[in-house]
Amino acid sequence: MIPAVLGAAALLAALQATTPPYATLTGPISTVGRQSDTVSSDTFSVKINRVLKAKSIAYKQFGRAVDLQSSGVWVAVSAELQAFQKTVPVRAATLIGSSGRMYRQSRRAGDAPNVLSTKTVQPGLPTTGLLVFELPEDELRNMKLVLSEQYDPQLKDEISVSLETIETAPQARLEIRKDGV
Amino acid sequence: MAFDRERRTWLLSLASLPLLVVAAVVVNAWRNIEDYRHRIETDIQQGSGQLDYAGAAWRLEKVRLIGDGRDAQLRLPGEMRLIIVRMVATAARDIGDGWGQCEVSLVDGTGRRWLPLDVILSSDISRDLEPDNEPLKGCGITSLDPPHQDHAALIEEKFVVPDAAIPTLSVRLSVAALRPRAIGFPLALN
Repeated sequence: MIPAVLGAAALLAALQATTPPYATLTGPISTVGRQSDTVSSDTFSVKINRVLKAKSIAYKQFGRAVDLQSSGVWVAVSAELQAFQKTVPVRAATLIGSSGRMYRQSRRAGDAPNVLSTKTVQPGLPTTGLLVFELPEDELRNMKLVLSEQYDPQLKDEISVSLETIETAPQARLEIRKDGV
Repeated sequence: MAFDRERRTWLLSLASLPLLVVAAVVVNAWRNIEDYRHRIETDIQQGSGQLDYAGAAWRLEKVRLIGDGRDAQLRLPGEMRLIIVRMVATAARDIGDGWGQCEVSLVDGTGRRWLPLDVILSSDISRDLEPDNEPLKGCGITSLDPPHQDHAALIEEKFVVPDAAIPTLSVRLSVAALRPRAIGFPLALN
């Protein structure tokens, strides 16, 4: 009897030690790719067109000129999204800097034209737009862009794209127009 | 004697443990399957006239295809087209909360699914197209105040779809209580 109980206890301990945590079991379904490729999950894909950095961004809102300065750097990512089987709102975009810190899309630039987070991607209609981030200048190496329907997705697709490091200095001013940058 | 009875109870408890674990897994799995069934549409009653569903008789009232220049003389860029679907539901009984989580979508021949535009954008488009009329409600909002017996509700949903999908589109409607059952009407747009 005692060996059976000990065996059962050992088995249960092994099962407990090897069971992934709940957050992992119900976490995102990740797809990883590079900037040069179109990265596709089961539900949507992303193709990065351009990555630009600037010390200030400018755009027009309701005919009024908006000029936003930054003590860090603005990073504008131009991308094309496609939905495959069902309408997908890609609301969540995060830029992971070289230190591993995560930067969500800037709310300061949330009313800029052509921002992807305000669009909904429909099957058969590729959608282009911008993702705008504000981050410190020393975070610009080996950045990773993470996209999903919503922040902290559970059992839903999440695409992670490694961005190429831009060696040039940030431009002084980046103008965002209705048709992009 | 008392020791034997205690030992028997202990053994019985131990032996019943696997059964209880299996029962718990089955009950949980059943609940999850039921939840999942109430989120999918697999049993579709397709028709072109009037269909009975969720305590009402449903029919397609009007479909508008906007963006190719024929309706409203409006041209949308590239393949993009706007489809406006109006449906009438005549209640055969008091609906109450029977239309909870009402969902309307467009589906094409390959199974692709388009969800309606959000309420704000939908209302803005309605005001642009028909400035003198109050925007009609979608199914979700109508489900909060459904019609009484023998009264009818007119609902409207708007979709953005690619031009190539239009010939095979049908509109699909379902409510949480009856899913996976749903009803569908072919749009017959060419």
